[in-house]
Amino acid sequence: FFCFLVADTIFSSFEAVVSTQSTGTTTLFIILLLTMSTSEIDHLANCITTHAWNGDRSKVAISPNSNEVMIYTKKGNTFELEQILQEHDQVITSIDWAPKTNRIVTASQDRNAFVWNYEKNEWKPTLVILRINRAATYVKWSPLENKFAVASGAKCVSVCYFEEDSNWWISKHIKKHKSTVLKVDWHPNNCLLVTGSSDFKCRVFSAHIKVVDKELPRTVFGDKLVFGEPLLEMNASGWVHGVKWSPSGNLIAFASHDSSLCIANVSNLPPTIQKVNLRGLPIRDLLFLSENSLVGVGEDCNPLLFQSEGGNWAFVSEIDKKSEQAAASGDSAAGNARKLFASKVTLGAESVTDTKLETQHQNCITSIRALTAGAVVSDFSTVGLDGNLIVWHTKALEAKFKELKIK
Amino acid sequence: MASGSAAPAGGGGKQRNYLNCIRATLTAAMCLENFGSQQVERHNKPEVEVKGNKELLLNPIIIARNKEKVLIEGSINSLRVSVSIKKSDEIEVVLAKRFMRFLTQRAENFVILRRKPIEGYDISFLVTNTHTEKMYKHKLVDFIIQFMEDIDKEISDIRLSVNARARVVAQEYLREYQ
Repeated sequence: FFCFLVADTIFSSFEAVVSTQSTGTTTLFIILLLTMSTSEIDHLANCITTHAWNGDRSKVAISPNSNEVMIYTKKGNTFELEQILQEHDQVITSIDWAPKTNRIVTASQDRNAFVWNYEKNEWKPTLVILRINRAATYVKWSPLENKFAVASGAKCVSVCYFEEDSNWWISKHIKKHKSTVLKVDWHPNNCLLVTGSSDFKCRVFSAHIKVVDKELPRTVFGDKLVFGEPLLEMNASGWVHGVKWSPSGNLIAFASHDSSLCIANVSNLPPTIQKVNLRGLPIRDLLFLSENSLVGVGEDCNPLLFQSEGGNWAFVSEIDKKSEQAAASGDSAAGNARKLFASKVTLGAESVTDTKLETQHQNCITSIRALTAGAVVSDFSTVGLDGNLIVWHTKALEAKFKELKIK
Repeated sequence: MASGSAAPAGGGGKQRNYLNCIRATLTAAMCLENFGSQQVERHNKPEVEVKGNKELLLNPIIIARNKEKVLIEGSINSLRVSVSIKKSDEIEVVLAKRFMRFLTQRAENFVILRRKPIEGYDISFLVTNTHTEKMYKHKLVDFIIQFMEDIDKEISDIRLSVNARARVVAQEYLREYQ
């Protein structure tokens, strides 16, 4: 027989009622999920460019499209502003929070990056010698959190590691890009880096630093990995906005500005690349929910779910959907008439045009993060230029919409 | 280069197709992101104006319907839309020029209006990532389309009223000689 116990201590409370038959035969367990929401929405700022959660998901650091980092703590159902980190001069383009070592790294268009350490209830910045002379666009901690990679407009990636003697972070450059590097992602083995650039290419490099990484992992690209050596170059038909390794490291997904998503299988060389054409606008960021499920977020203001059936990737569905019941009971004739007269009086408009979008995000989604670790990600969060932070629960979404099954 | 397709239906249908084509192109071209300049450190410029790096610019598209046309130039952080108004006679040439000058002198109030139109066009808009961050993209596209429809209407209205006034003035003047 099978049983399903659900517990949610952070978000809204609900009850699980499990009933069993006392006989030994297989029986059905009845589960009642009261008020299990599919998503929670919080408006934290006017416009959010990026966000990062801490290890136990009790705090989130966001950049409200300015040179400050705001750290919010989750208190019950709402977020409370805990601290504002001010060290950068220009807009902060990227934040990453290392879950185990509890360090925050921020990168900004003022060509600086800082690593923040939590000491005595305050976040203190540490100097990072990036040696770039253009804006930093993206930053990511490596899986072991002993290095981080900064993508920049100086057409290079700075891989930084800590130098004990001088108490600062120093960098090694990966050049070989012909234009701004827009995104980077680390392979689970802590040594390979995939980059997406505005020169229409997605590349894989070795980011193995002898001082920091003790041993060289065995990869499909060979045993001798020289730092900064390009191991693979894949073409895209537009600026590559999002790159991601799958949890096993066998697949690379990259999304480009021509509204397409390519998934490359790099377990064997040469890689087999599949292209999925999107129905709407380009995707900006990606998240693998499992080895076979991928969520892309972007200009459509709607997270899109892609899944693979035996290696064939295809678009499954949008995640932000109104159930049919809600859509049907939406507009009544009286409500429409009232809206029409209201818009005539206030705006001088002749017809009712809905300004608000139907999706929960009202503007482009910029960043997506996983909330739960493990083989299958069951919760993830998105932030957008509308200033909303939305947390999505896949289990509730699966229960509500039959086609959204995460494999 | 893409030309607006003309449907077999009446004049309204053709206009609708033309505007729908422009709307679809604008929605796609308005996917802008904040992008620090590659040429100058710590600067953030609209790449479509600077045209510093070819890889950051999208292919310009002209959508034309007889004499009226729209040039859409996109880039990674900015979009430039230039409109050329249909002018059927010389009066409309003068009226269009004056009307556009009136609007461009008040470009601050329009936010996305460019003070000088591009060569060969009557009026230009410049939309940057700061605009798409503050305003709804679909409303910006609506505004531009509405603007194009209104301009045509206004100019033909003004021309009609100019002709009507000219007739009235001529009548009054020649009454003296009757």
